[in-house]
Amino acid sequence: MAEKIPVVKMCNIKKNFGGVQALKGVDLVLHHNEILGLVGDNAAGKSTLMKILSGAYIPDEGEIFVEGKKINMASSQDAHQHGIEMLYQDLALANNLDVVANVFMGREKMNLKLGSIGILDEHSMERETERLLDRLKIDLSSVRLKVESLSGGQRQSIAIARATAFNAKVTIMDEPTAALSVAAIKKVLDLVKELKAQGSSVIIISHRIEDIYQVSDRMIVLRQGRKVCDTEVTGDIDTFREHVVAYIIGARDDYANGGGKQADGNCR
Amino acid sequence: MVIAGKSDEATLIRDARRVLQENIREWGMYIALLIIMTIFTITTRGVFLSSRNISNLINQTGYIAVLAIGMTLVIIISHIDLSVGYLSGFLGAVAATAMEFWHMSAPASILLIIILGALAGFLSGFLVGQMKIPAFVATLAGWLGYRGALQLVTMHRGTVVITNNAFNAIGNGYIPDISFLPDSGFLAGIHQMTLALGILIIVLYIISEINRRNRMLYHKFKVSPLHLFIIKMVFMSALIMVITWILSGYRGLSWTAVIVIVVVLLYHFIMNRTNLGRHIYAVGGNPEAAQLTGISVKRITYIVFCSMGILSALSGILYASRFKSATTTAGTLFELDAIAAAFVGGASPSGGIGKVSGSIVGALVMTSLTSGMNLMGIDISYQYIVRALVLVAAVVFDVATRNKKEEIV
Repeated sequence: MAEKIPVVKMCNIKKNFGGVQALKGVDLVLHHNEILGLVGDNAAGKSTLMKILSGAYIPDEGEIFVEGKKINMASSQDAHQHGIEMLYQDLALANNLDVVANVFMGREKMNLKLGSIGILDEHSMERETERLLDRLKIDLSSVRLKVESLSGGQRQSIAIARATAFNAKVTIMDEPTAALSVAAIKKVLDLVKELKAQGSSVIIISHRIEDIYQVSDRMIVLRQGRKVCDTEVTGDIDTFREHVVAYIIGARDDYANGGGKQADGNCR
Repeated sequence: MVIAGKSDEATLIRDARRVLQENIREWGMYIALLIIMTIFTITTRGVFLSSRNISNLINQTGYIAVLAIGMTLVIIISHIDLSVGYLSGFLGAVAATAMEFWHMSAPASILLIIILGALAGFLSGFLVGQMKIPAFVATLAGWLGYRGALQLVTMHRGTVVITNNAFNAIGNGYIPDISFLPDSGFLAGIHQMTLALGILIIVLYIISEINRRNRMLYHKFKVSPLHLFIIKMVFMSALIMVITWILSGYRGLSWTAVIVIVVVLLYHFIMNRTNLGRHIYAVGGNPEAAQLTGISVKRITYIVFCSMGILSALSGILYASRFKSATTTAGTLFELDAIAAAFVGGASPSGGIGKVSGSIVGALVMTSLTSGMNLMGIDISYQYIVRALVLVAAVVFDVATRNKKEEIV
């Protein structure tokens, strides 16, 4: 790895919801141009951790560094500004709008502005969308198609395209392959690889260990709000899966003693 | 696309059928309006289509049409506003009181109630957007409250007669005529200004249609074959020309019609060409997604309800000036006419979908029904039932055609 400073470093993140400790001090390191898988059972704290990184939640304790600088992440706007984009599980697209409108939702290009209201610059948004889809090798007959007329895989591609449209350094994907057909899953995973090839860093939350195995460089397992495993993705799929599942269900829990710790993912 | 030489007539019919099937949802309301107008023209032996009646019909549509536009926006963001009818009646009564008893000028009274309308909308927006109260409940409270307020304002005097001529001209006046031709007797007795405006509208319509077609071709969308496109344009132009001609034969274009046209153009522009309109559609389509991309759902809710309040004030002005008075029953059931007009005009009950132009056609359908049945002397009880059936038919039609997706080459 050429750059030593990780693109994202989260240290000792804690978060309570009422009396429930969702995160009990988690460290996470994401290197440049790396795909990191994040797995764990339901309520393990994956989504909470990622929502903290994307500014949707504010942690009770802990620090976040982006490219070595300490960041006060208070809103999703802050996250945008630091090049962190989150792609939500429940397809954050508006079906009644076309592809261009969805890609530029909330950050439309405008010709003439009067206060916060302005006239849309459709032409340049169209061209930029076409360029973006081209770059990510997403094939659509027209960027003016309504999103509701697209297939599940195409929609997920558009959602990913939007998340990466504005030069995101880090893209977080929450279950990007959930509820997709096999062919569509392949397409999405290809897209993730394409992002890496273009120098982006990606964090993928998934239940499907096969998907993580296919695209990730490294993987973190969370269990009950703690990190229980942080390992390079190596070996063949079956042994890898067995190894990981043991940590997910809690059959092995030796992280504190150095087990499952193969990567330098700690703050201390 | 046109295969030359082949039996043209058969191709034409086939093309027409295909185009009709693909655009049935959008064209449904135009066809419905045409059918309704034809039926009434026959049953009233042509009285319905007389210059005088059409002119009246357009003026009657005015105060429902402006409400329908605002209501379409409210429905797009998946809410409803039941308070607008009595709000419009109440604000009309305030304007009448301001002019007759507080001796305010017409413009000052109008400004006053537009501000009050915006405040009322802001209140609904607060209840719905800020306090998260279901719009149905919040605006039902408004319905009760404004009804009480209307009775309070008109209690002592009963009907407030408006004597301000400038104000009354809004609902009863017509644009001045300017003769373009030398006084030769040609087109005598015809409102030439209205005729000229009609021709201007046709030219603008043809230009915008050609632009739209070119843009769709550029985006590789399937467009209707050229001959059908030309037929459609000829048909629409003829329709505008007929309406213009009918109006020119009476007293020309009314100020009410001018106001409605201005409001339609303004809202059409906002909804289709600005980021505000885009955000309103986005909030309607997927509020969570809109919020995540940085659009404030709360802000949009406030804006849409405020616009509804302002349009209620405008509706109150049009109604009060048309009848030159404010009465205790002003505004009764306007909200339901407006909601029906929005649905007939293609707004979807599930939100995210609706057009300003559609709501105007919807409003025309609803007032045509009232006007036509009145001319036929049908009892009011049957009128309500017929209007109910039309509303149900419109929503059923919407649901039935919802799953039709846009087709591409």
